[in-house]
Amino acid sequence: MTTTTPPTLAIPGQLLGPASRYQPGPGTHLHESNLHASLVGQVHITQPARALGPAKRLTKITPAPAPAELPTLSVTPATQLASAPSREKKKREVLPEVGNVVLCRVIRITPRQAVVAILVCGDTVLEAEWQGLIRVQDVRATEKDRVKIYESFRPGDVVRAEVISLGDQTNYYLSTTRNELGVISAVSEAGNTMVPVSWKELMDPKSGLMELRKVAQPQ
Amino acid sequence: MSNDRPLVLPGETIDLSLIPSHPKNPLRLGPGLRHIPPSDIVPTAAGELITNPVKNSMWVEYNSNRYIPSQNDIILAQILRSTSDFYLCSLAPHTPPATLPHLAFEGATKKTRPVLLPGQLVYARVSLANAHMDPELECVHASTGKADGLGPITGTGCIFDVSLGFARRLLMARPAQDGGLAVLEMLGGEEGGGMAFETAVGRNGRVWVGSASARTVVVVGRALQETDRGRLGVEGQRRLVKKLVREMS
Repeated sequence: MTTTTPPTLAIPGQLLGPASRYQPGPGTHLHESNLHASLVGQVHITQPARALGPAKRLTKITPAPAPAELPTLSVTPATQLASAPSREKKKREVLPEVGNVVLCRVIRITPRQAVVAILVCGDTVLEAEWQGLIRVQDVRATEKDRVKIYESFRPGDVVRAEVISLGDQTNYYLSTTRNELGVISAVSEAGNTMVPVSWKELMDPKSGLMELRKVAQPQ
Repeated sequence: MSNDRPLVLPGETIDLSLIPSHPKNPLRLGPGLRHIPPSDIVPTAAGELITNPVKNSMWVEYNSNRYIPSQNDIILAQILRSTSDFYLCSLAPHTPPATLPHLAFEGATKKTRPVLLPGQLVYARVSLANAHMDPELECVHASTGKADGLGPITGTGCIFDVSLGFARRLLMARPAQDGGLAVLEMLGGEEGGGMAFETAVGRNGRVWVGSASARTVVVVGRALQETDRGRLGVEGQRRLVKKLVREMS
């Protein structure tokens, strides 16, 4: 088979080259040991850092670094595809990544997990709502087997959480184990917004009644 | 109707003279009443307003047939099916099933635990009940580990459905004096001819009657249901028991 250079413009699914000659970068994926594009955009080839010869020092000769790596193929989304000059830059959807701190609203609770809708990722309000799960063992760091979901979250609470896994097709997996993660804003059974009292209690200012939640440390 | 148990309707304001006061204890509201700050107490159900000045509490006594699970209620549940970790039990028809963990029985470990089949009856306590989740049951006291009479129902018998208020009166400490229900005593005493039976009453409006003889089960069950539906007083219950014994002998 003759070796061909990768195309300059790619659409999702387009074959770019074999995995034996290139390394996958952002915007590409591996399928049956071939590299395919995942986005619409321009293809870039980044050459690896040149392998240096053995470094010579006064007293010691260190061996050469790892042998030359394969060049990396990446696809960057095209910002302006149309020829019309007045067309505005299309907004790219921000997706939550592992380690991002997100704001979400609790939709439903079951004894083993809380189902949430992710609304804000970092500082960006997301255009689409992504569903996330906070499992009962990811609610807090201590006494994980004695957590009661009903005393940590309730439907309608706004929660600050951290993404720990991209999960499967329907759910991200989130965690609130750190002190600054947890319920930020909640409404009491009487209908009033509650204020934090401790890491596990919120108080309704009008009736004075306490409700149990896993409360985020105010910043 | 005596004045100390006035009839209240949902949403109406309660006369301030009816609200008890106590020098030390705060006022406690029971079922059927709601506190709207700062100082309104509003009934949410139609019934008799009852006050207890000694404990400084008040509540509305009302009857209904729809059971809403609340924590620490003792109920009669029927097993629907078993999953890997718990049994799914029905507390009332057309409601979400309650979960009863496999190990929530006295002295249960993974190797020795009671195996319950679908259709079997269990006398259990509601351990978790709220508006957002399905209810959860237990057959053992969480802290002491003792069953205290809870667990699967053994023996031959039948379940009868009664209204919730009737079940509450049966569960009183002295049903004959406080609740006006002497029908069970009569059935086991002279009016009934000394029948031998046992009962288990659940707050979800179910009564299990067990006896060696099917005739006894039927007589007791019919007596309970007709007392409930006919709202019989003590004299009416006596006449009913005599009539049933005569019919069924």
